Amino acid sequence: MSKSLVHQKICMLGIFAVGKTSLTRRFISGIFDDTYLSTIGVKVSQKLLAPIETTPGEFVQYNFLIWDIEGFEKSSQQLHSYLTGATGALLIADLTRPETIQSVPDMLATLSKAAPDARPVLIGNKADLISADSETSQKLKKMAKKLDLPLFLTSAKTGENVEASFNKLGLLIAT
Amino acid sequence: MEPFLENVLNRAAFGYAYLDPEFKVTDFNERFNRFTIGPGSPKDQPIMALFPETIGLEAVFNDIARRKIPAFSLENINREQPGERTVFFNISFYPTETTDAPLFCLIKEVTQTAQLTQQIKQKENEILLLESLLSAQSKDITLTILGESRPIQRIRQMVEKIAHIPTTTVLLQGESGTGKSMIAKAIHYAAGGENLPFVEINCAAIPEALLESELFGYEKGAFTNAANSKAGLLEEAHGGTLFLDEISEMSPKLQAKLLSFLETRKFRRLGSVKELEVNLRLITASNRDLYDLVEKEKFREDLLFRLDVVNIELPSLKELGDDIIRLAQNFIQHFNLEFHKSIQGLTEAACGKLKNYTWPGNVRELRNVIERAMIFAENALLDVDDLQVGRSAKANTSNTPLERFQLPPEGLAFEEIERQLLLNALELSNGNQSKAAKMLRLSRDAFRYRLEKHQLL
Repeated sequence: MSKSLVHQKICMLGIFAVGKTSLTRRFISGIFDDTYLSTIGVKVSQKLLAPIETTPGEFVQYNFLIWDIEGFEKSSQQLHSYLTGATGALLIADLTRPETIQSVPDMLATLSKAAPDARPVLIGNKADLISADSETSQKLKKMAKKLDLPLFLTSAKTGENVEASFNKLGLLIAT
Repeated sequence: MEPFLENVLNRAAFGYAYLDPEFKVTDFNERFNRFTIGPGSPKDQPIMALFPETIGLEAVFNDIARRKIPAFSLENINREQPGERTVFFNISFYPTETTDAPLFCLIKEVTQTAQLTQQIKQKENEILLLESLLSAQSKDITLTILGESRPIQRIRQMVEKIAHIPTTTVLLQGESGTGKSMIAKAIHYAAGGENLPFVEINCAAIPEALLESELFGYEKGAFTNAANSKAGLLEEAHGGTLFLDEISEMSPKLQAKLLSFLETRKFRRLGSVKELEVNLRLITASNRDLYDLVEKEKFREDLLFRLDVVNIELPSLKELGDDIIRLAQNFIQHFNLEFHKSIQGLTEAACGKLKNYTWPGNVRELRNVIERAMIFAENALLDVDDLQVGRSAKANTSNTPLERFQLPPEGLAFEEIERQLLLNALELSNGNQSKAAKMLRLSRDAFRYRLEKHQLL
């Protein structure tokens, strides 16, 4: 059995107040605070994932360097630099704000341009505030299908699917 | 580095370092070390170990060293310092002339600027967020005619058809609380009126004279208090929708004026001789049978014919069966957003209670029941005890004497009530007039004036 430790740059992408910082804090520290504080620039945090078996007896363990990036703006020059070198990204929409879904294709295009090899996972956050069959959830599911992206409906508040979405990203990167 | 340049960088508060071809630090100044992570000297350490933000940038660094790209910068990197203070800095990389240290790293702290930017961005985003939430809520509540029952499906089909004909006059009839205003908005938005005016007025809520000036507008000097000219609601609604609720309460004089407008689509402001023309959709609503009022000569028949081009009869809530639960779920979602709660839905027993109740106050009553339940609910699902309907709700809300007070059908003499209140207050305050005045929310002078009026001094 062999195990290697690899750093992976993971970017949190989404327009303002979709919950990027809250998801990061929930994943890294297991805490939630519903006070909204807008992020300026980028804050990088680290978390070690459980080892993933890539082939029988071969394990890889990822150290996720999570880039909590300020609210997505299509025209941002700096965003390209932030995304450079990323191997994965969570594209986050807010289930309570249908307009946040519209920016998903732009986010995906920006990511593909800056980090062509990065693996994306689509997130519908604030699932605790809305039912799984709501109109917004349905729209996001259609968007995920159209763009062929794995989708998780998460709640940074309750922790629902937060760990699972990062783990999925780990698996996507490993395979 | 040249002493002159080193002096400039130090005085300008820049941190700097030279990196070798393996991106290890060969030389640096003291300020550079302020932003690195981990203990010990940065000397001979790879930049990635000192700045995790640079992990993944190896290819970029190689390109800079080979002068394929002129520079690379990361701006506003947040770094938490001891004491939970966050500092912000920009880090940039440039090529050098030397092969043993082909990369030059420059760091500038930008905490003050970033904090100011953060404050501005915070306010901007909070405003945008509120606008966005309001818009989402208004769409959830007004644009979605919820339900699968036949009456609701019929209304939905009618709204879709009406929406395609921009100036059709619509009459909405139904019991109080059946959602006439919501349907009016649904017609407006379904017709693509998102950016067009939707103007709403309740004819019963405004005195006749005021309603006329509100509707038709007035010119300066048209009446005593008309200090300035003012556009009426007809003008405000130009291009969009004017919704007149409780049209049955409109006076005969105004009915005639509205009829004239409907026939010509023209009107004059009060005090003006100039005719104005507007293009709008008129939606009216009533919870009274207008044909019955025509028979009683309380409503103009000719106006009713003008208003009743398309008639939508709104069902009472008790007719909607399972839709009651769908509406309740929708209100739960709405109030989850408003109250920052995470109520998931209703227990089976709670659903049964909602379906078995008669709902005299219709959707409005349902909304109030859910709102009240959401305020106090502590579990994930609303249960029977959370839902206070009918008498139990009244018993809990009618806590104040004023709310319990009912005017008897035979009426009461107001002066007698006032006299009795003054006596009661004096009795409860043991004759202390200041205390008694306070109990009646009156100034001492106003209290004494009333005592004098009733010869109680």
